[in-house]
Amino acid sequence: MSMQKTADSNRSSNAGLSMDNQEKLLADALQNVRQHAFAMKRVLDQQSVMEGLKHAANMLGELRTSLLSPKNYYELHVVVVEELHHLELYLADEFEHGRGSHDLYEVVQYAGNIVPRLYLLITIGHVYIRANELPRREVLRDLVEMCRGVQHPLRGLFLRNYLLQCVKSLLPDTEEDNQEESKTGTILDSLDFILLNFSEMNKLWVRMQYQGHTRDLQRREQERRELRILVGTNLVRLSELECVNVERYKTIVLPKIMEQVVSCRDPIAQEYLMECIIQVFPDEYHLNTLNEFLKACRELSSNVNIRNILISLIDRLTAYSTREGTQQNIPENVELFEIFSEQIAEVIKSRINMPSEDIVALQSALLNLSLKCYRDQYEYGNKVLENTRKIFDNIASDTQVPTGTQTAKELVKMLKIPIDCYDILDVLKLNHYKLGLQLLSYRERHTVCMYIINGILDKETIIPTAEQVTQLFELLSTLIVDQADNPSEASRQTITNEDFVEEQNLVARLYNNFQAVNDPDQQYHIIKICQETFKNGGLERMRFTYPPIIMQAYALTFRYKTICEQDEKWEKKCQKLFQLCNQLVNTLTKLETNDLPLRLYLQGALAASEIGSENAETIAYEFFSQAYTLYEEQAGDTRAQCASLTLLIGTLEKVTCFGEENHSTLRQSLTQAATRLVKRPDQVRTLLLCTHLFWSAQRVNESTQKSEQVRDGEKVLACLKKATKLTTQIMDQSVQVQLYNELLNCYIYYFNQNHPDIDITVLNSLIEKLQSETSKISSNESDEFIHNQIKKTFDYLRQQSQVEKFQGLQINN
Amino acid sequence: MDLLGLGSKVDIDFILDSQDQRKQVEVKVDDNNNKRSLQYIYYDGEDVGGSVQIKLKKNSKVEHQGIRLEFIGQIEMLNDRSTIHEFINLSKLLAFPGELTENTSIDFHFPSVEKPYESYIGINVKLRYFLRLTIIRRFTNTIAERDICVQQLSQYPEINNSIKMEVGIEDCLHIEFEYNKSKYHLKDVIVGKIYFLLVRIKIKHMEIAILKKESTGNGPNIYAETETIAKYEIMDGAPVRGESIPIRLFLGGYDLTPTMKDIQRKFSVRYFLNLVLVDEEERRYFKQQEIVLWRKQDKVKTKNSAKQYAHFEPPNPPIKPEDSAAGISGSGNSPVNGRSSSGNNSDSTSD
Repeated sequence: MSMQKTADSNRSSNAGLSMDNQEKLLADALQNVRQHAFAMKRVLDQQSVMEGLKHAANMLGELRTSLLSPKNYYELHVVVVEELHHLELYLADEFEHGRGSHDLYEVVQYAGNIVPRLYLLITIGHVYIRANELPRREVLRDLVEMCRGVQHPLRGLFLRNYLLQCVKSLLPDTEEDNQEESKTGTILDSLDFILLNFSEMNKLWVRMQYQGHTRDLQRREQERRELRILVGTNLVRLSELECVNVERYKTIVLPKIMEQVVSCRDPIAQEYLMECIIQVFPDEYHLNTLNEFLKACRELSSNVNIRNILISLIDRLTAYSTREGTQQNIPENVELFEIFSEQIAEVIKSRINMPSEDIVALQSALLNLSLKCYRDQYEYGNKVLENTRKIFDNIASDTQVPTGTQTAKELVKMLKIPIDCYDILDVLKLNHYKLGLQLLSYRERHTVCMYIINGILDKETIIPTAEQVTQLFELLSTLIVDQADNPSEASRQTITNEDFVEEQNLVARLYNNFQAVNDPDQQYHIIKICQETFKNGGLERMRFTYPPIIMQAYALTFRYKTICEQDEKWEKKCQKLFQLCNQLVNTLTKLETNDLPLRLYLQGALAASEIGSENAETIAYEFFSQAYTLYEEQAGDTRAQCASLTLLIGTLEKVTCFGEENHSTLRQSLTQAATRLVKRPDQVRTLLLCTHLFWSAQRVNESTQKSEQVRDGEKVLACLKKATKLTTQIMDQSVQVQLYNELLNCYIYYFNQNHPDIDITVLNSLIEKLQSETSKISSNESDEFIHNQIKKTFDYLRQQSQVEKFQGLQINN
Repeated sequence: MDLLGLGSKVDIDFILDSQDQRKQVEVKVDDNNNKRSLQYIYYDGEDVGGSVQIKLKKNSKVEHQGIRLEFIGQIEMLNDRSTIHEFINLSKLLAFPGELTENTSIDFHFPSVEKPYESYIGINVKLRYFLRLTIIRRFTNTIAERDICVQQLSQYPEINNSIKMEVGIEDCLHIEFEYNKSKYHLKDVIVGKIYFLLVRIKIKHMEIAILKKESTGNGPNIYAETETIAKYEIMDGAPVRGESIPIRLFLGGYDLTPTMKDIQRKFSVRYFLNLVLVDEEERRYFKQQEIVLWRKQDKVKTKNSAKQYAHFEPPNPPIKPEDSAAGISGSGNSPVNGRSSSGNNSDSTSD
C-alpha cells in the first residue's frame, strides 16, 4: 500500500524567526489572548459554559504559534495559563454548587485543533477529578497519553508542563495495598504518569537540538538550557511523592529515569538530568543506588562532563555523612569509598581523552570523601593519593605538572583537602601525600607548603616527636632548602624580598609548635633535627630559622635544670646544648649584622648563669666575651654600639655566676667602653648604667661560694663624678638639662640605697644646679618632654621631703 | 401549501398518534441548510396513524369527490426534478364524495408500515416519507403533505474488525495506522493510533477528516459528490521514528447518516476516514479508508452540547509563519491560501 501525495508547487521555507519583530509578535499575541480572555470571562459571568469554552479555545489558539522564541513563548504561556485558571475556577465552582455539566470532557474534544483541545482537556480533567466526576486514575492516564499528539518540541514541552502543574495536587500518593484507594489510583499510577511524562518531555527537549540550521546551534543550545527546568520539574515532582521510598526509587524510579537519560544520548540532557537527580532526591536514595547510578554514568555520552556529575554526587554524600549528628548514617553495608574508587577508576579508564585536570578533580573529590567519611581509615586517603600519582606516572613518569596549568591548580586544591580536614599529624600518616606534592612545580609546591604551615599555626597543632618533625620537614623542603627547579631562587633569596621574609618567618614560627611535652630528650632530638635540616638552607634562611632553635635550646636547659634530680646527666646535656648554641650563633656572626648574634650570646650567658651548672661560669664567660668581641667589631655605627653596650651592661648586671676575677675584668672593660663611646650623652648614660655593675651586680664570693653584690661605693661615686663632669661639657643646653635630671635621679637612687658618700647636701647642690640650668632654656614645645621629666623628679622629691631621711632637702619653687 | 389560492377555503392539519411521546428531529429542508423543520421520527414496521383536521373558512362549504390519504416513500433526484421514484405508496379513502360543511376530523391508521430506508437529504438526492391528503375536487385538488423522518436502526454488526494498515512512500515515510473498528454507530468514538515507522520528511501536522461521498444515478450518469464533514487535527509538529500518536474522535457531534448502499439502485452514501499528513512545504500525504456508519437505538440522551460545540469548532488552518511575517510572501496566490481553499475536495480516492 502506498500513500498518496499531492504535489505542491510553491515552497515556503525561509520563515526563520526574526529576532527583530519578536517583541511585536509577543505583544500582538498577548493582546489577542487578553481579548479572548475578556470575552470568555464575560460569557462565563452570564453562565454560558459553551460560549466560555469557545472563547477559551480561541485564546488557546494563540499557543499554536511557531513564531516566538522560547523565552517569549514562555511569557505568552504564563499569561494564557493564568487566564485559563479563571475557567477552571468557574467550572470548579459550578460543581461545588451542583450545577456542573457532565459531558464537558467529551465536549472539549471536538475542538478541531489539537493544542487548544489538549489544554482544555487537561483543564476539564483537573476539574472533573476534583469533583469526582471521572475516576482519577483513568483521567490521568488518558491525559498523559493524549498529549502525545503534540510532537512540536516547544509546544509539547509547555503543554506537558501545564499538565504536570495541573495534576500536582491530584497525583495519588497512597500504598497499593489500600483497597479503597486503589480504585482511584495508587502511587504506582503516579509513578507511571510522571515517568511517562518525563520521558516524553525529555524526548521533545532533546529533539530541539536537531531542528533547524546548524549555524543556529549555539542559540538553540542556549534556548534548550533555558527550558531545562521544564523537564526537571518531573523529577522534582517524583521526589515530592511521599510513597516513593528507597525500594521504589531503586526498583522503579531510578531505572526508568536512567533508561531515558542514557538512551537519549544527548550531552546537554544527560548532564542536566544527572545533576538534577543528585540534587532532588534524598541522600539515602543515592547511598542505596550508588552502583546503579555510577554504572549509568559510564554509559553517558563522551561529551558529557562526567567530572561535574561525579563530584556533585560525592560532595553531596560527603556533606551528608559529615552533617552534624549524622555521622553514623552511612549504612554499614554501603562501601562508599570502595564503590566510588572503583567506579571512578572505571570511568577514567573508559574515557581515554579525559583531561588530566578532570582526573585530578575526581580524585580530589574522592579524597575529600575518604577523609571526611572515613576519618580514621588513612589507607583510603593514601590509596587515592597513590592512585593519583600512578595516573601521572603512567602518562609521563617523573615529570612535574607545569606551573599555572589547570591540572596544577586542581592538584593544589586536592593537596589542600587533607590540611583542611586533618591536623598535620594525621596528614603525616598519609605517606603518599609527599608523592603527590612532588608532582607539582616549584610555585605550586610553595603554595601548598605555605598552606601547610599556616594550617599548623592556625590550629596550634603541637608536633611532639623528632620523627614527625623529620617527616614534616620532608614535606616542607621546598621552603627549607634551595630548589633546583626555581630559576629565580638566587635573586629572590634575600632579606629585602618581602615574600621571602614572610615565608621564612612562617617557617621560624613553626618551630614554636615543636614541643615534646614531658620529654626533654625528645625535644633535644627535635633541636638536633632542626639544626641538621636548617643548616642546608643557607645563611639567609638561618637568619630566620636559627634563633628559634637557639632560644628553644636555652629553654630546654631550664627544663633539664628542673629535672636535675631525676636526670643525673643533666649537666652534660646542658653543656652539649650550650656548645650547640655557641656553634649556631657563631654561624650567624657571618651575617652583616652583629646585633642578632650578640643578643643570642648574651641570652646564652644569662641562661648559663641561671642554670648554675658546674661549668656555668666558663660557658657564660665564653658567651659574654664573644658578645663583647662582637660589640667591639661594631665600630662605626654609634647608635647601635650604644644600644649593644647597654645590653651588655644590663646582662652583666644580671649574670651571677662570675667569680670576682672574671666579673672585675668585664665590668672594668664595660666602664672603659662607656667612656670610649663617641657621643657625650651616650657616655653619660652608659656610665650611669655602669654604676650598677659596681653596686647591685653579683659575683661569686670565692670563700663562701655564694653570690653577693659588689657594693663598691667608691667606684660608683667615681662613675657618677665622671658622668657629672662629662655632663658639664655638653653644649646643647636642653640635652644637658635632661642629663642633669637623669644624673639627679641616679643620685637619688643611690641616696635611697644608702650609699655612704651621698648625702642630702650632694642632692641639694645637684638640685640647685638643675634648677638654674632649667631656667636658662626656653620652654618651647620640643622640650616639653624634658620639662615633664624634670617635673616628675621634683614631684617625687617634694613628696619624699616629708620623710625623715630627706630632711634638709632644698627645692626652690 | 395552497399554491393557487383556490384551496384557501380549507386549512389542513395532521395530528399524529402519540405525538407527545415521539421524538422529533430537526431536519434541514433544503441543501443550503438555512431552512429547518422539526419532524417526528418513525421506525421501520411502525404503525402510522393519527387524524386529519380539516378546518373550513367561515361560512364556507367544500364540495368534493372524495378525500384520499396516501403514505408515500420516494426518492427525488435533485438535479433532475422530473424523476421521482416512489418505492412505497399506501392509499386510503377517508371520505366518499360529498360536502364538507363544518370542521371535520378524520382518523386514519396505516398498520405496520414497511419503511425500508432512512430519510436522507443530500446534495443530489432526497429520500423522504410523507403523508399526502388529497381532497379531490372538480377543478383543482386540495393537497396537503406532511413529512416524517424515518430512521433505520441496525443491530450491532456481527463482524467488526479493526482497520489496520501499513502505508508509506518508499524511503520517505512509513506509517502504520489502526482504527479500532470498521463499523461505527453514529454516536460512536473512533479510537486509533498512528505509529511512525520511518520519517524522512518534516511533518508539520496531521489531521483526520471524515469524508462523505454521495453518488447518484447509474450507468453513464453517475454524479459523485464528496463533502468534508469534519476535520480534526490529531498531531502538531514533527514526530520521529517510533512515535505513536493516539486518535480519538467522537462522532456524535457531527451531522452524519448511516452508510447507505445502492438504495433502490438510485444512490449510495458512503463515509471515509482520510488521514492527512502535511509537511513543512505544504505537501499533503493522505490515505483514505472507508468506514461503515450505522444507527444504533438511542438509549442515552442526545448530547446536544456536543453537537453545538462541534458546530462552532472547525479546525483552524495551522498558523503559518508566512501569514504574519510581513513582506516575506504576502502575494495573493500564496500556497497556503490556495491549499486550504481547495483542500476539501481535491483529495482523490484511492484504495
